Amino acid sequence: QTPRACSDYWSEYRHCRSLWNRFHHYYTYGTSPSCYQWKEDYYNCKACEKSTGGEAKQEALQRSERNRVAEQRKFSPVWELRRDPPSDWHLPLNHEKPQDS
Amino acid sequence: MGQTKQEEEYGYDLFPERNAGKYKKGSVAESLLTFNHKCQVMLQLAVETSDTSYLVGLFKDRHFACEDCDGTVSGGFDAATSQIVLCQNNIHQQSHMNRVVTHELIHAFDHCRAHVDWFNNFRHLACSEIRAANLSGDCSFSNEVARFHFGMKQHHQECVRGRALRSILAVRKINRQAAEKIVDEVFDTCFNDHAPFGRIPHGKKDAKFAHRDYENRNRYYANL
Repeated sequence: QTPRACSDYWSEYRHCRSLWNRFHHYYTYGTSPSCYQWKEDYYNCKACEKSTGGEAKQEALQRSERNRVAEQRKFSPVWELRRDPPSDWHLPLNHEKPQDS
Repeated sequence: MGQTKQEEEYGYDLFPERNAGKYKKGSVAESLLTFNHKCQVMLQLAVETSDTSYLVGLFKDRHFACEDCDGTVSGGFDAATSQIVLCQNNIHQQSHMNRVVTHELIHAFDHCRAHVDWFNNFRHLACSEIRAANLSGDCSFSNEVARFHFGMKQHHQECVRGRALRSILAVRKINRQAAEKIVDEVFDTCFNDHAPFGRIPHGKKDAKFAHRDYENRNRYYANL
């Protein structure tokens, strides 16, 4: 299976290229967005579906996606992640808090 | 830790209904005819139409509270009780409510997924404020224009910096220069941390795609 449905790649590409997105990208980063990767991923995805010589295309697609994940993690976090949610998340509220807590 | 230290140093003085150490339940009439009722109604709508509340395991009655607040503050996240506080006397429009809810949800999300030391670590506080200003729509083009802040290229980042700074100064006793330095230190990391959206949601379509990615996450990670 491909990481996303092929139509997802196409809709991401169209959205990337839209005036709305280009405006907001410039507003945020001061540059134009680069959208060709979505388009390439779409064509690779379609080729995978056809399953004729899809191996290389599958790899290319996976590489592109792994790249995307790496981009999202490309910074050293300020805090330590938890393994479980905080233990008091769902505890009921105390209606009488002790004076010295 | 005495009550007064908490009040002054952790910004609890902005939320007077919270720092008495006890919760006061008002009369039925009071809750129906006042800002409290309006706040509850808007909150319900915000949570129902929110693009973000699916991300955190939240129950409206346990994790949200409508209260009167001091000054112009719109809301806050109380880590001590895992509650989002909404300032019923300062939020009068649905769109404002939606934005405050999203902003505070990001704090709640950070509290849930990381060991955030809200009270003692300024870098942690700054990071969450940067993220909240960045991802909640606080700094959208239209919101900035409404504040008469006209800027275009990379203005979003300027806005995020400014609002994060303001938030920190509002709840902690720290001088402006020190706060600026801390924001600068953590800005790059925290501005680029788009969890849980995977992108900066600028509008409905971004939010829709972020939700789609979330629904699709199992398939996605299984096929990398």
